[in-house]
Amino acid sequence: MKALAIAALLAALPLAAHAADKTEAETALAAAVKAEDAAGQVGNRWVPAEAALKAAKAALAAGAWDKAVAEAAVAQAMANRAVEQSHEQETAWRDAVVR
Amino acid sequence: MRKFRGAAALILVAGLLAGAAPAPAASLASAAADQKAFQDNFRSRFPAVPFADFANGPYSVNAPMRKQWEEIMQFPPYDFALDEGKTEFAKPFANGKTYADCFPNGGIGIRQDFPYFDGKTGEVVTLDLAINRCRQANGEKPLKYQTGMMASLTAYMAETSRGKPFDIKIPDDPRALAAYEAGKKYFYTRRGQLNFACASCHVGAAGQRMRGDILAPALGILAAFPIYRSDWGSMGTIDRRFTSCSAQMRSTPLPPQDPAYRNLEYFLSYMSNGVPISGPGTRP
Repeated sequence: MKALAIAALLAALPLAAHAADKTEAETALAAAVKAEDAAGQVGNRWVPAEAALKAAKAALAAGAWDKAVAEAAVAQAMANRAVEQSHEQETAWRDAVVR
Repeated sequence: MRKFRGAAALILVAGLLAGAAPAPAASLASAAADQKAFQDNFRSRFPAVPFADFANGPYSVNAPMRKQWEEIMQFPPYDFALDEGKTEFAKPFANGKTYADCFPNGGIGIRQDFPYFDGKTGEVVTLDLAINRCRQANGEKPLKYQTGMMASLTAYMAETSRGKPFDIKIPDDPRALAAYEAGKKYFYTRRGQLNFACASCHVGAAGQRMRGDILAPALGILAAFPIYRSDWGSMGTIDRRFTSCSAQMRSTPLPPQDPAYRNLEYFLSYMSNGVPISGPGTRP
């Protein structure tokens, strides 16, 4: 029984997620802030992106590095999409005009 | 032959420049054409709705909802705000002056002329902004824009304009046309996580359901403001509606009276020229 438990533990080890450290969390947050600033520059901040950024900052302050990295990644991805959306819409909006 | 080559090169360069040039800027004629197309669109999609009835938003295009509204209007939920606004409007500032001193015709029956383009400052001035500028010019603190006394004051002022058609003018001034064009662009631009534009709901899907709501046609959509909205349980101004619409699209709202919102109000009001003021109003 004991051998089985040890075997199961060993089998699970390679699957365990990499735990982030403070430096990784700070780097992820900095990238998210930069992306969100870019969304702000084009006047297209998204509510959930800002919420994720806020959650990332709170997690960083609380020492929850994994959560900070995950939330920052969400914020960064959404902010990047917001910038793309703005660039697309720079001309695409004209197609929607009632004529 | 050399002359021909030169001319051909000129034509080529001109063609390339034309291809690379941005879309033509708005003109008074194009704005008027926009307005006609916009109004014709709603007229043709809702042929049974009298033009003036577009002032009543979703009630103009949905009979069961209209019936409920008519019953609600036996005891309009905005009446308290109307009374409060009337009292406040007449109350002198600390310096003895009143709101009436700030506006043409003493502020009575002028809602249909707002927003307007101010050639001196080069910006769009809404009624709400004019109210706060009046207060500040008379040594008073500005009011908050989205609800409370601002909604009460604009309710009273709108009520004195009931039945008067929107009469928004675009002066022959490039800055005014730029403000109009910016408002138009804002209206049709998709933004936020849901990738919606104002037009997504209020042009393309006007009259249809969005969950429990009937989407109001964009034509005349501001005529009833400020409104008592059951969803809010209180009065709200145009700023409150713009910011809540933005949030519903998961787009971070702009500050109230942001130039982008004022330009949007300018565009929408100009599109609605001829639709009578019906505010204050009620909405679900």
